[in-house]
Amino acid sequence: MKHLLLKLEPVIWLLFGAGLSVGTMLLTGFVLVVGLAIPMGLVPSEALDYERAHALASNGFGRLVLLGLIALPLWKGAHHVRSLSVDFNGGDRDGVVGVLLYTAAALCSLIAIVAVVRL
Amino acid sequence: MTRAAHPEAMAPPKKGPTRTAPPQIPGSWWGAPRIRTYLLFGATGVVYFLAGTVVLHLVWALGKGPDAWAKVMDDLSHPLYLAFHALTLISVLFVGIRAFGTMMPKMQPRGGPLPVLAPGLVRGLIYSAWAALTLVFSLILAGKI
Repeated sequence: MKHLLLKLEPVIWLLFGAGLSVGTMLLTGFVLVVGLAIPMGLVPSEALDYERAHALASNGFGRLVLLGLIALPLWKGAHHVRSLSVDFNGGDRDGVVGVLLYTAAALCSLIAIVAVVRL
Repeated sequence: MTRAAHPEAMAPPKKGPTRTAPPQIPGSWWGAPRIRTYLLFGATGVVYFLAGTVVLHLVWALGKGPDAWAKVMDDLSHPLYLAFHALTLISVLFVGIRAFGTMMPKMQPRGGPLPVLAPGLVRGLIYSAWAALTLVFSLILAGKI
C-alpha cells in the first residue's frame, strides 16, 4: 500500500495543492453567502431559489466550479488529515490511513462528477 | 615538533554499545507555539473534507429537484450548520493567510526562466486575486450580478 501511495504522490500533491489554493479561494465566497449570509437572512433566499441556482450550476462553467468546490477541498482535507495522523501516530499505520482517506476522497469525487453531470 | 593527532586516536579498541539515551520526543511537543500553528493548519483538513461533503450534499439535492433543494436550503439555518460554516470560514481564512501570505511567497522556483519576485509583491498579487474572486463569486451567489 505504501508503495502505491509513493507512486501516486505527484497526483496526490497536485490535488492537495489545488485544494489548498483554488479550494480556499472558492470556498471563501461560497461559505460566506450560501453557508452564512442566506441562512442568517442577510441575503434574501430568492437569490438562490431553485430556478436561479439550477441555471447558475447547470452550465459548463458552473458544473466545473461546483466540481472544484467539492473535490478539491476533499483532497486537501484527506492529505492534511493523513499528515496529522503521521504526526500523532508515527508512520506505522500511514499506509492504511492514507489509502482509506484517499479512497474516501476519490469516491466522493466520483459521486461529485455524477452529481454535476446529472444537473 | 607536534603534529595533528589521528582522529581515532582516543577511540576504544573495541566498539561498544553507546551509553547515550535513545532520542525521545518530549510529551509536550505539540504545545510549542510554532508546532501548534502547524498542527492547526493540518487540522483544517478535517473541516475542508467535511465542507466538500456538504457542498456535495447541496449539489445532489439541486439535481433531485425543487423540493429537495428547498429542504436542504432550509436545513442550512440549523445552528449546527451555521456553527460549522462559521468554523469553515475561520479555517479558510487561516489557511489562506498562512498559505498565500506566508508560504507561497517563499515557494517561488529559483534558477528557472521566471524572475523571482519580492515576497511582498507575490503576497499582494495572491491576496488581490483571492479578494477579487471572493467578491465576484459572492455577488453572483447573492444575486447582485
